[in-house]
Formats: sequence, C-alpha cells, structure tokens
Amino acid sequence: MSAELVLFWVFAAAIVASAGGVIIARNAIASAMSLVACFFFLAGIYVLLWAHTIAALQVLVYAGAIMVLFLFVIMLLSLTESGPVAQLSPSRILGAVGTAGLLAALVGALLRLPKTLPTWVSDTAQVQRFGTIKEVGQVMYTQWLFPFEAVSLLLLVAIVGAVVVAKPRI
Amino acid sequence: MKMKKWIEVSLAIGFIIGALYGLMAAAYGLSGLLEGLLKDKFGVSGGAGFANLLVLMLGCVMVIATALTLAERKWSAMMQDRIGPNRATIDIGPLKGRALGGVPHIVTDVLKLLTKEDFQPATASKFLFNLGPILAFAPVFALFAIVPVGPTLEVAGQKVGLYVANPDFGLLYMLGIASLAVYGTSLAGWASNNKFALLGGVRASSQMISYEVALGLSLVGMMIAFGTVQLAGPTGMSEMQGHYLWKATVGGLDVGIPAWGFLLQPVGFILFFAAAFAETKRAPFDVPEGESEIIGYFVEYSGMKFGLFMIAEFVEVVVLSGVLTAIFFGGWTLPFGNEALASVGFFQDHPWVLGALFATIFWVKVILLCYLQLAIRWTFPRFRYDQIQTLGWKILLPMGLVNLFVTGALILWDPTLRSLAIAGGLEIALIAAVTLVPRGGAKDEHAEDHGHGGHGAHGATDAAAPALAAHH
Repeated sequence: MSAELVLFWVFAAAIVASAGGVIIARNAIASAMSLVACFFFLAGIYVLLWAHTIAALQVLVYAGAIMVLFLFVIMLLSLTESGPVAQLSPSRILGAVGTAGLLAALVGALLRLPKTLPTWVSDTAQVQRFGTIKEVGQVMYTQWLFPFEAVSLLLLVAIVGAVVVAKPRI
Repeated sequence: MKMKKWIEVSLAIGFIIGALYGLMAAAYGLSGLLEGLLKDKFGVSGGAGFANLLVLMLGCVMVIATALTLAERKWSAMMQDRIGPNRATIDIGPLKGRALGGVPHIVTDVLKLLTKEDFQPATASKFLFNLGPILAFAPVFALFAIVPVGPTLEVAGQKVGLYVANPDFGLLYMLGIASLAVYGTSLAGWASNNKFALLGGVRASSQMISYEVALGLSLVGMMIAFGTVQLAGPTGMSEMQGHYLWKATVGGLDVGIPAWGFLLQPVGFILFFAAAFAETKRAPFDVPEGESEIIGYFVEYSGMKFGLFMIAEFVEVVVLSGVLTAIFFGGWTLPFGNEALASVGFFQDHPWVLGALFATIFWVKVILLCYLQLAIRWTFPRFRYDQIQTLGWKILLPMGLVNLFVTGALILWDPTLRSLAIAGGLEIALIAAVTLVPRGGAKDEHAEDHGHGGHGAHGATDAAAPALAAHH
C-alpha cells in the first residue's frame, strides 16, 4: 500500500466521521466545528489529487471565513441543546426522497467507473504543473472567464439582496 | 556607574546576537546532515524542513516568544517610567539579591502556570473547552512554516534553505491558517459557559470579520509587484527584495535603493500591519480580552491552559514580525553591501558562515519589529468594536482597493518597479508630512470639543486621521 493510499484512507475516514458528526451532534457549535474539520480533511483529499491551490482556498474560504460567520451567528442566537423533536412534515419527506435519489445516482455513477485506475500519471511534469496557482489562474481567467464572472455577478446579487432584506429603508 | 551600565547592556546584546548566530549556524549544519541522512537511507527529501522545524520554530520562535513575556513587562515599565519586574531572584552565591534584569521572572511564571490547579467549570462543555487553547495556539505557530530565515545554500552536499516548507501557494497558506486562529478564541469563550467569556468570544469573531478582507487585499500589491505568492526560494518575495532598483558601487561596497517591500508598497505595509495587528488581539485591538471590561474569553481558564492562550499571543507577535520582515523588510538581506559580502573569498569557501550571518540579520529585524509592536501595544487606547468595523470596512478596505489599482497601473506602465518605488517614496513622504506636521485650527477645535476626558474615541480618531489624510 503506497503512502498516498494510506493518506487517502485516513482523510476519507475522517471526512465521513466528521460529516457524520455534523448531523449527529446535538450541540450546534459542535456541529459547526465538525463541519470545519470536514472541510479541512477535504482539503487533504484535494492535495492528494495534486490540486494544491484548491486545497489552500478550501481552508482559506470555507474553513477560515465562511464557518467563522456561521459560528458567530450560532453564538449570537445562543441555541439550546435540546432542539425541536424530529417530526414528519411534507418538506422533510420530500427531502428524504430527494436525498435517497441523489445517493442512488451517486452509487450508480461510482459503479460505472473502470475497475483499474487511469494511468494519466505518466507525464510527471504535467502532473506537477497541474493544480499550481499559475495553472489554475491561467485556466480560470482565459478558458473559464465567463463562468467566473457569472459567479461573481451571482455573489453581487446575493449581497445586494441581503442588504435589501436586512435594511427596509436605505 | 553609567559606563558599567553601558558595558552590561552591550554584553547582553552581544550575547543575544552571538547566540542567534550560533543557532543559525547549527540550523544550517543540522538541515544539511538530516537532509543527506534521509536521502541516503530512505531516499526521501524533507530532512531539512524537519531540522528547521526543530531549530527555527521550536528553538527561535518559542524562545523569543518566551523572552517577550519578560520584555513586555520591562519595556512597558520603561515606557511608564517604572522599574519593572525585579522581585524574583536566584539566591545562589554571587547572584543573591540580584534582579538579573528580571530574567528569573520567566522561570517563576512557568512554575506558577504549571503548578496551578487546572480548574474546569462544571457546566462547561468539556471537549470544546479543552480544544479551545489548542486551536488558539496551533495555527499561530504553524504560520511560521513558510517564512524563509536565511538564503538557500549548499551544506554537506545538500541544497538547504532555512524554511520549513515552501508550498507553491505560499501566502495563501499563511492567510488560510491565520484565519483559523479565531476558532480557538471563539470556542474558548463559548465552551466556558460564562457570559463574560461568551462576550469575549463573540467580540473576537466580530473583530475577525472586520479585518480579514483588508488583510488579504493588502498583500495583493506585493504579489503583483514580484509576480509570485511564494516567500522562500530563488523567485520568492524574500530573495527578490535583495535586488537593487538603483545601484552604485562606492569603494567596493555596493549601495543603492533595494526593492524592499515597504519602499514599493508603503500603503500595503500599513494596511497589512494594521490588519495583522488586529489578528494578534493586542491593544489597541484587544476587545476580545478587554481586561477592564469583560476580563476576556479566557476567564474560566487557569494554569497552563491559560498559559497557552498567553504564549499564543506572544508567538503571534514573533510570527507577525517574521512575516513582516520577509514580505516588507527585505527578509535576511541588508540594505547595502550584500554583493560585497558575498564576494569575500572566505565566505565563498564557507557559504554557511555568510548564511548564518544573513539569518542573524533576519532575527535582529524580527526583534526590532517585536519592539515596535510592543511599543504600539502600550501607546494606544482600545478601539471600540464599531470603530474596528469602521476601520476595517470603511478605511482599510477602500485604501486597499485604491492601492491595488494604483500598483497594478504602475507595474503595467513600468515593469522594472522603479516608478512604483518613486510612487512609494512619495507616499512615505506624504504620510510622514501628515503625521509630523502639527495640525492647526482643527486640532484646537477638537481639543475643545472633547475636553480632557476623551479616551478611546479620541485616540481612535487621531490614529485613523493620518491614514485617511495620507490616502487622499
């Protein structure tokens, strides 16, 4: 077993455990911290895939910035540990069906994967360049410029929407 | 008496610099040996990084941070015209009754923290309560991994540089790890199940939301100036700053204007320093602690768990100084004479001698910047939370954006960075003029409005005003 495989299983098991912690923990803060841990281990998986830049951005943006906001809001709301008891409501049933469908689709897709690993690792130089900040930047600002700008527009709309909702009088 | 004092002080400074030089020489030797050993026995590289982890991070950073606990007391005493710590003594032989500059206080502090009862509130959430100090310390400490301390040299047949890691996304690692430090503070505040601690934790998160955007933005100017986000390595920011923008040779000594970050990006430096200072949670940005208001997020912690919070703060001061040195103050390079030193025959035969000298220069810069941070901490009054938010979002962020556009335009126009340095010089002159020239009518009016009672708000507007004025 190569070192890469060992690391993969370490990260994979940790991701599943911490993702489970997010939904199992009764305490909202513990749940949020599990999500932070999950993002962190996910960054490890990205590193194994040679996507260093994405891994750094994952930690910077999700674990570092977004989850701090989550934590801030949870603290301000001061939620109690005993939340509402789970009840069957139409939206919950719909959600359960949707989740089951997604799971089925994912399992189906995974079963269609080839049994042997792809051998794209042959070109070492290309593998090492792939995922560096330079390559990601080049691809993002040339080939995928339109989606990039579209996403930034979407974020702008979200910010304007948040301001409009939060402040009735501007 | 005066003479004796001078001799003692020079001896102390000489001892510190000599010790640093020895440590750095040892760092080069150990990295070269370990790298060679690992390559020969196991065929893996990374021995140098591990050796640097031991010597630079556990050795230098931790020791300087520990010494800062004493330095803070001594320097604050100096600034407030007090004597400072002199009660702890070691009563052996000739040392009996001597304060030794307060050095025994470090030992007594550690003994006190280690032997104190490790108290835990009954209603605290245990796991998160214990996680708090760890999460507060670890990210701060790990930040130093990408800071290059000395040049890359050939030692014992191996190419080693004095840095722990040099990832391709350099500064993104720094920003990412730095943003994790707030979890420790917030969790400590929340898990203590104490209203004051919770206030401290919430204040920490709200402060972090205020400065984090400006922190990242302030470094973009430096990134585009040198076209890299790496700190270490031959194309990293630290080494690139050693090059001269204008160079002349005077009697074999090369002099000139080096491409140091604070000359190219004075506004970027001020923005980064202000935002990163907020990250250290020290006055004037100490609302999470606010000892006179809420005691702080660590009210319920005692013993070494509190000690970990305290030492994390000092480690952050050292790490911030290291980062500032590497990005804005030319890393290990001198402002002049680098090439003259490198061409000395003896140094060419024994490169590690020169390397250790450069690394010592790095640490001297770090200690000077630590002093600057302590001086700021004991000079400014605390900001209110809304003042920090105003500073972060209404002053630092727009300044950062304008700085980014100006820098980008200047580099596009003149890729040699010379016009950027001229613009930087003008900015420094402007900032100096605004800071040093006394303000006439406006000042008097201000004083009348607030009388002599102006505390926090007064100092805050004063501090913000030069920055604003310099910007426009």
